[in-house]
Amino acid sequence: MGKPGPMNRESPLRHFGVLEWLGILAILSGAVGPVSLLGLWSFTHAWFWPDLLPREWSLRAWSYLFSPDAGVGEALATSLFIALLVAFLALFIAWPAARVVAGAWFRGKRALLFLLLLPIIAPPLASTMGMHALFLRFGLADTLVGVVLAHLVPSVPYATMVLTGSFSRFEIGFEEQARTLGASRLQVWRHVTVPAMRPGMAVAAAFAFLISWSQYLTTLIIGGGRVQTLPLTLVAFQRSGDEAVAAALSLIFLAPAVIILLVVGRLMITVNRKDDQ
Amino acid sequence: MTSRTGGGRVVRIVTALSLFLILCSGMACRNSGRTGKSGVMIDPQNLPRLDWAEIERLARGTTVNYGMWAGDEARNRYFRGPVTEDLRQRFGIELRIIPLGDVAETVNKLLNEKGAGKTNDGSIDMIWINGENFGTAKQGRVLWGPFAETLPNIGRYAAGARQRDFGTPIEGYEAPWQRAQFVMAWDTARFDAPPLDIPALIAWIRANPGRFTYPAPPDFTGSVFLRHLLYHYGGGPENFQNGFDESVYQRAAVPALALLRELRPSLWRRGETYPANPREVDRLFVNREIDLTMSYGPAFASERIARGEYPPTVRTFVFSTGTIGNFNYLAIPFNAANPAGSLVVINHLLSADSLLDQSRVLGSIFPLDPEKLTAEELGRVATLPRGPATLTAGELASHLLPEPDVRYLERLEKDWREKVLQP
Repeated sequence: MGKPGPMNRESPLRHFGVLEWLGILAILSGAVGPVSLLGLWSFTHAWFWPDLLPREWSLRAWSYLFSPDAGVGEALATSLFIALLVAFLALFIAWPAARVVAGAWFRGKRALLFLLLLPIIAPPLASTMGMHALFLRFGLADTLVGVVLAHLVPSVPYATMVLTGSFSRFEIGFEEQARTLGASRLQVWRHVTVPAMRPGMAVAAAFAFLISWSQYLTTLIIGGGRVQTLPLTLVAFQRSGDEAVAAALSLIFLAPAVIILLVVGRLMITVNRKDDQ
Repeated sequence: MTSRTGGGRVVRIVTALSLFLILCSGMACRNSGRTGKSGVMIDPQNLPRLDWAEIERLARGTTVNYGMWAGDEARNRYFRGPVTEDLRQRFGIELRIIPLGDVAETVNKLLNEKGAGKTNDGSIDMIWINGENFGTAKQGRVLWGPFAETLPNIGRYAAGARQRDFGTPIEGYEAPWQRAQFVMAWDTARFDAPPLDIPALIAWIRANPGRFTYPAPPDFTGSVFLRHLLYHYGGGPENFQNGFDESVYQRAAVPALALLRELRPSLWRRGETYPANPREVDRLFVNREIDLTMSYGPAFASERIARGEYPPTVRTFVFSTGTIGNFNYLAIPFNAANPAGSLVVINHLLSADSLLDQSRVLGSIFPLDPEKLTAEELGRVATLPRGPATLTAGELASHLLPEPDVRYLERLEKDWREKVLQP
């Protein structure tokens, strides 16, 4: 592994003109603006039009959310557990499907694609009600397992789409080559397939995580209130209009998503850098 | 070399993830784990023969899952804290709050469960309900009972609260709990005197174009605002109590809906759009886009002042001809795992002591019939703290109007959509 050459180190930012910088500014203000507003709201006690800034500040929202009465810690743990499990399982389920779809043309491929994407085309309320009736019969309603399964329904199609893209750029011949050179199946998977597929896997897992993370309706119906995730708590406060608590909860809700995106970004960037070498 | 580290990192991530998942699952499982016995089944038909002490004995050591609307911080704190502690000490019952967004969703869930044959070991033992949702639940036979009339503490509620809920005969399938009454609010810093009856309100809306709006029915608050117009044109609430009568409805609804249509250009955004719920109306009120707001909770403005959401100069008022009020209730789902525990908890929440405490902490109206209270209790009710914007219990009680039969309400909501929202 030699040192990266000067070509690799040159930042693409150097080539940016005014238009590109304006674009970046717009994206940043679109992302940072609302979040900083949430930050303000979460510490607000009194904020009336036409004041530019809150008239009085308070720690009420945060002290409530950090008290055991709010149950935020439990909801956060439940949400994380479900979302990580969904991300992991979605990858597992999407992997073989994506591999087949990305491969050679075969009769019925279009129909298969349509079937794979059907869960995101169907209206979520209808499919969730149907799932609830089914899950009741199997004793899966009101359980964590049931909620994980329900979250997999919208997550798997996205994971499949992303992995299909990665597989279509992946040369299966590399695997065969490694096999002829005496590598075991596991070795091939570990040293050939996974490194090549890693960016796709990271994005697919992130998609699945974020979809599960933001589920409200499915958790509510399938979990029946017994499985308390963060969105359930958040929506209750948004509906009642307690702006300070809703804003603080939104920030808590946002944090893991941002962390996941950063991790995924890192995974993708390191790979791209290695590709350059 | 590159590929080696790449694969290795994924393996490490997967290992770390699995460890984390196991850790998390430990936490999640602990949270969903029940403490104590899961519950005690009772056949509602045997209730009248059971001694209350026997029910309390059966309920000791059980867990009650209370499906509670969870959007109010003060309420969440109060029920998870003092109420839970009180029930634990007095009855050895563990109260678990199941936070809910809307009881209508719970009723749908119960109907679904009924359809799928899940008739026992349900996830919720007790719900907070009234009106249309009660009507739907009772009609769908997803409530456990009848039980309410066997509760020792029910006798101190006025008979009216125990008979009909929006015209639906209660027949013991829910127990009256707290009271709500429609009030409007204005900011004394903006103008001195609010419009105190319906004609004055109509004149006010015309004189102040763009400064008034109401939540779009079927929102609960928007819907009750409409019912005041129905009573205004229909000759008062008396005509709307005994079932649905098409001619009574037409006589009142035709002018009421015509008025609302005619008022549209004078409303906020010329009536082309309506807020979806009272909170949006509130937002407009606080931002000075409109000058009147409304709520089903008489203490709402005082709570908002305390939270800093309203300026301290906001006050509430009722119409001189009265405003509509109702009771809300506690009920037990048909497949509750622990009806015995629910009975004990409900009876406790209906006691004068507990209700006084609820009024003190949450600012709710004290709901018991004054004629059935002792002199000592009446004295304690009189000394309940009252927020700066809340009317006295006497003022509210002397301006209280009953709800109409639920069929008037449903029809009015439907006609509003067809004739006012999209004519």
